[in-house]
Amino acid sequence: MGLLSPALAGHVVAAAEPVIPNYGAQSSSCVVHNHLFCSDWVSHNWGPVMWPALRGHILLALVAVSIGFAISLALALVAYRYGWLERPTMIVTTIIYTIPSLALFELLVAPVGPNVYSAEIALVSYTLLILFSNILTGLRSVPDEVLDAAEGMGMSRRQSLLRVELPLALPAIIAGLRIAVVTIIALATIVYTIYNAGLGVPIHTALGEGPFKTELIVAGGLAILLALVADALLVLAQRLLTPWTRAHAT
Amino acid sequence: MHEFVEAFRFIAHNGAIAGEPGLPTLTHLSFETLKVSAIGVAISIVIAVPLGVWLGHLHRGSFVAINTGNIGRALPSLAVLAIGDAFLGLGLTVVEVALVVLAVPPIVTNAYLGVDGVERDLVDAARGMGMSGFQILRRVELPLSVGPLFTGIRTAAVFVVSTTTIASLAGFSGTLGDVIANETSYHFSGVLGAAICVAALALAVEGLLTLLQRALTPRGLRLGDHEHAARPPVEAAVASSTS
Amino acid sequence: MRGTRLSRFRTLIAGSSAALALVVGLAACGSSSSSSSSSATSATTSKPAVAASGPGVGKPAVTIGDKNFAEENILGALYAGALQAKGYNVTLKDNVGSSEIIHKALTSGQIDMYPEYTGVLLSAVAGQTKNPSSAEAAAQEAKAFLEKEAATLLNTTPFYDSNALATLPAYATQHSLASIADLKTLGTGVKLGGPPEFATRFEGLPGLVKEYGVKPTFVPIAIELSYKALESGQVSVQNVFSTDGQLLSGKFKVLTDPKHVFGYQNVAPVLKKSVLAAEGPAFEQTLNKVSSLLTLKAIQQMNAAVSIDKQSAASVAQQFLKANGLS
Repeated sequence: MGLLSPALAGHVVAAAEPVIPNYGAQSSSCVVHNHLFCSDWVSHNWGPVMWPALRGHILLALVAVSIGFAISLALALVAYRYGWLERPTMIVTTIIYTIPSLALFELLVAPVGPNVYSAEIALVSYTLLILFSNILTGLRSVPDEVLDAAEGMGMSRRQSLLRVELPLALPAIIAGLRIAVVTIIALATIVYTIYNAGLGVPIHTALGEGPFKTELIVAGGLAILLALVADALLVLAQRLLTPWTRAHAT
Repeated sequence: MHEFVEAFRFIAHNGAIAGEPGLPTLTHLSFETLKVSAIGVAISIVIAVPLGVWLGHLHRGSFVAINTGNIGRALPSLAVLAIGDAFLGLGLTVVEVALVVLAVPPIVTNAYLGVDGVERDLVDAARGMGMSGFQILRRVELPLSVGPLFTGIRTAAVFVVSTTTIASLAGFSGTLGDVIANETSYHFSGVLGAAICVAALALAVEGLLTLLQRALTPRGLRLGDHEHAARPPVEAAVASSTS
Repeated sequence: MRGTRLSRFRTLIAGSSAALALVVGLAACGSSSSSSSSSATSATTSKPAVAASGPGVGKPAVTIGDKNFAEENILGALYAGALQAKGYNVTLKDNVGSSEIIHKALTSGQIDMYPEYTGVLLSAVAGQTKNPSSAEAAAQEAKAFLEKEAATLLNTTPFYDSNALATLPAYATQHSLASIADLKTLGTGVKLGGPPEFATRFEGLPGLVKEYGVKPTFVPIAIELSYKALESGQVSVQNVFSTDGQLLSGKFKVLTDPKHVFGYQNVAPVLKKSVLAAEGPAFEQTLNKVSSLLTLKAIQQMNAAVSIDKQSAASVAQQFLKANGLS
């Protein structure tokens, strides 16, 4: 106990009277009265609060979907080749799926810590079921005649895969990507419970302040907009990359 | 591993924690979760089924019907709750509004796809037999759409059950979300236990609705695989966790 | 096939460029208005300027975390700012998580220190179910618990942030209310509001019933709506926090809790002993100095500035430190 003298350690200290500055009233009456939308607050706080949250949110989602896609593609290709792998993979990913997201985040904190890794592991896990299932379905939907034709043309297995099967599986793959991207953007709003990133941060702050309507609407609105824009972009990509499916739009 | 054992012990004790005699039991919380979810799903069915069925019958508005389904999936539930909170304040109303907003799209989409997708030959045959539009709807299209219709309702119901847990983050108390969002008091074992309960509830709801669907499907269709809606089996599990 | 491959490609490029332009535009908006803010430019960590000289120069870098609510953000910013002014290399990690999460972050080494409430440490982390008998006992018991994790607690603040019951001054005068015990005579006629967990936890209503014999009618009110509910008359007495900024307005009166049902919640920095040793005595002295200045009024003013006036915790903390010669 060398550093702390026993008399002082842990005691409630007699207060030295502090100087309390006048913090002033820096916010407009709109904010103080909690009106629905205060544009002055938004322009002041876009840079320090909203944009970092939006940027962080986009990053979380992009990384999660990219990694999830890579893993799911690998798993799907293996399962395509060795059919018996499908069942166990589906079972594992479905189990992960039914765990409520909030719980999965919190459960990862114990071993991994309250950091970006826990957040990304959870988010990636949620993409696996969707992407694996869709990619595999897409690959399997290639008609046998087409496969035979490719083989007949002398294509190797790899050529057939790269030039025939995967392109034909694109509609299903992109459909899966749409669901995955939108799902992950939605889930990323809850990341704030274990890691200080994403649009959930301003939502949480606002909920604790009144609730602070302007911040709620802006943050919530951005999350919704982000999901809609991402979905629209993927629809665009789908239309462009797979023009032959336009007649059967889903 | 040890957390799992603790979680099951938590469930076995019905959610009791040593030293806190007044806590609501897991049974009570589960019941409340089901109640809130049931109200949301009921309202959504009342709104969405007639709308989707009507659009499908007229073969109109496919763009709207299908894309509301996608948009509905795109809405982060916490964001919807947050915005509802700003406009309506906290309470059961705003939670139900959020749940309805999130549940209506899949029901509309699947109702539309189901009725729209009934084989034209059958509809033509019915018209040829002299049936009116309404009779066709009631006696041909609806029975044949039970599959997709229930798919949409099941998806929505499972989704709603899990979303009520998110409502706790927005300050709404009384559901199993209270435990999951309150790790400070309940510790990891409690969170895991409640999560297992939510998953069990979601699966139970899905199971019940499947039974109901089977009961309502016309006997002639029961043997066939008549899923019109392009819904991979994935979506049930997807819906149960997209919250 | 509709359209040539080239025109489809062009459309794809056009669409992507539009999206890219949108993102760049948003970022530009972001960086231009962030320069006008004096506080953190990133949402996760902040590193204000570190003093070039002082006892902290050359000492190992230290990471301070705080929980995800305003008062903790203020405390984190206060401790970090004071240390940085003394030349310590401090990184502040805001919004690490709830009590158990942030404590695990400490024990696993992801953060080196965080501000903790003695009562919360005992109930949420140590798992104790009995209230300590005094503020000092709470601090001592917390320290004893932390010993097992090779950690310790520094001096506690004068202020405590525990549950409290507030009412309107007119109502208090009308019924001669000074302490919670005075509610007993009102029986079930008094409407008491609070978050639903208040009705079931021992540190809440059941404790009050047991210790004071009060029998109010409970009305569940979400914590953010506390003051609105009081002002509108929806409830007569409301569960609030003792350090809320709203309590400065004079519009509310806090009933005293002589039997300390609500426990003791003074704040102190929690940190590993190894960190304390490595950073030297000036580290501890600086932190203790900051803590000693945090009276109830001081923290209430800061809470008001952050929660009501929506200033950032970092800027409010800096103003306080400057005014007291600590920055």
